[in-house]
Amino acid sequence: MSDWGWVALAYGVTYGSLGVFAASIAVRIRNARRALGETE
Amino acid sequence: MPQQTRVRRWPWVAIALSLATALTFALVSPPDDTQGDLVRIMYVHVPAAWLAYLAFFVTFIGSVAYLLTRHLRWDRIAAASAEIGVYFTGLAIALGMIWAKPTWGVWWTWDARLTLTAIMFFVYLGYLALRRTTDDPVARANRSAVLGIVGAVQIPLVHFSVVWWRTLHQPPSIIKPDGPAIQDPMMLVALIVGVLAFTVVYVSLMVERIELIHLEDQRNAFERIADQSVAGDSVTAPDLGGSS
Amino acid sequence: MTTGFWPQVTAVAGRDLLRERRQGDVLWITIPFGAIALLLVPLAIGTDAVLLREIGPGMYWVIVMLFGVLVAVGKASSETVPQQDASSLLGLDPAAGFVGRAASATLLLLVFEVVVGIVAVGLYDISVIGVPWLLATLLIVAIGLALLGTLTGSIVNSTSTGTALVPLLVAPLSVPLLLGATQAYEGLRLGHSIVSWVLLMVAVVLVVAIIGVLTARPLQET
Repeated sequence: MSDWGWVALAYGVTYGSLGVFAASIAVRIRNARRALGETE
Repeated sequence: MPQQTRVRRWPWVAIALSLATALTFALVSPPDDTQGDLVRIMYVHVPAAWLAYLAFFVTFIGSVAYLLTRHLRWDRIAAASAEIGVYFTGLAIALGMIWAKPTWGVWWTWDARLTLTAIMFFVYLGYLALRRTTDDPVARANRSAVLGIVGAVQIPLVHFSVVWWRTLHQPPSIIKPDGPAIQDPMMLVALIVGVLAFTVVYVSLMVERIELIHLEDQRNAFERIADQSVAGDSVTAPDLGGSS
Repeated sequence: MTTGFWPQVTAVAGRDLLRERRQGDVLWITIPFGAIALLLVPLAIGTDAVLLREIGPGMYWVIVMLFGVLVAVGKASSETVPQQDASSLLGLDPAAGFVGRAASATLLLLVFEVVVGIVAVGLYDISVIGVPWLLATLLIVAIGLALLGTLTGSIVNSTSTGTALVPLLVAPLSVPLLLGATQAYEGLRLGHSIVSWVLLMVAVVLVVAIIGVLTARPLQET
């Protein structure tokens, strides 16, 4: 693999995992808000 | 009735903006004299590692503050920081491996910093595992705080032991570049922008993650109450006979 | 319940050791487990005597760290919540409880280390040298691991999940003990000074002991 290939892999892993992590927090917040909204 | 904050947009915007900026600088900066373009991996690896250590330091502070004040907010800060810290530690290790393979030909070397980072990863993974076993927020906070303190205080001792161990057993033939020698100011700028961007990401994720802990604790509390039977359930209406 | 810190420590340690005499899980389960682990390794990696002599000491200490901690787990987390409540109602100082449990775990760990050590010396042809320092290392590791196991045991549930969690929590924290013990043996073999390694392990012991004693009461207020 070329150097740029490794760089692309590194940035893909970084931004991809960050996106997944951030998105999961956002989704879980929304679900928790919904659950609390229903029980009120 | 639980207090709910308004939906915040700024953390997500901040994350997107700072990452876009960091990426731009990383791509625009010049290649290294010896490592070539591989040096760009350092612009995410080093910030990830820096944030990992910062996050665990915050967990330590939060743990101590909780035991001293008994305010659950400190426990939430400690726990959120530990989870984000585990993420950044894992990322730092993965990026270190991606950098190491083309540079040294192996995925892993047993140098002190890498080994120490791997051990830290497991310390805080254990912290997260411990939190999962307790539902009651107060008991969970007590236990996590103790582990947070033990873990953090042990880290320097682990650090010394691993560093001494490596200085005794370092294979002399491997020339290991410790990191890029900064030849061009733009490289330093890219690195600093990366660190700043990741710090913004950390703070933004912290805000949201703490909120999530708060919300989920409230929801669990409601579910616990909902599961309990009402006192009046045991009293039935009297049977008066006659037609219904 | 007797008053006074050290009498309480002795009472708690005595109770734990009595329980071990009745149930015998260290003697009949944990020690054989450590011994068979030592047996399995050459089956997997080869029986060449030179190789085994090379890895023997390291394998021994790894087994002590990973399996030895189970000795401390059994005693620390076997207290259910009602038992803990009874103890605190009777006026047991939580710090004394901690030290007592750690003391009994230390004793049991020493037995574990010695018996499994004999097996290791036999199977791996490990040379036993520098006996005074070696014994000191065994003792310091036993105390350190007992403290780590007891402290960790007191922050997990007394459920099977909690008990399973303790070795995972202790493993990374035991690295200074592991490196200290293995490098101390290396140093004794090569004739180097091992004072710094011994001091490092003592530092671990002190740090964990202090944290354990300071957090014993806050932990009970759950």
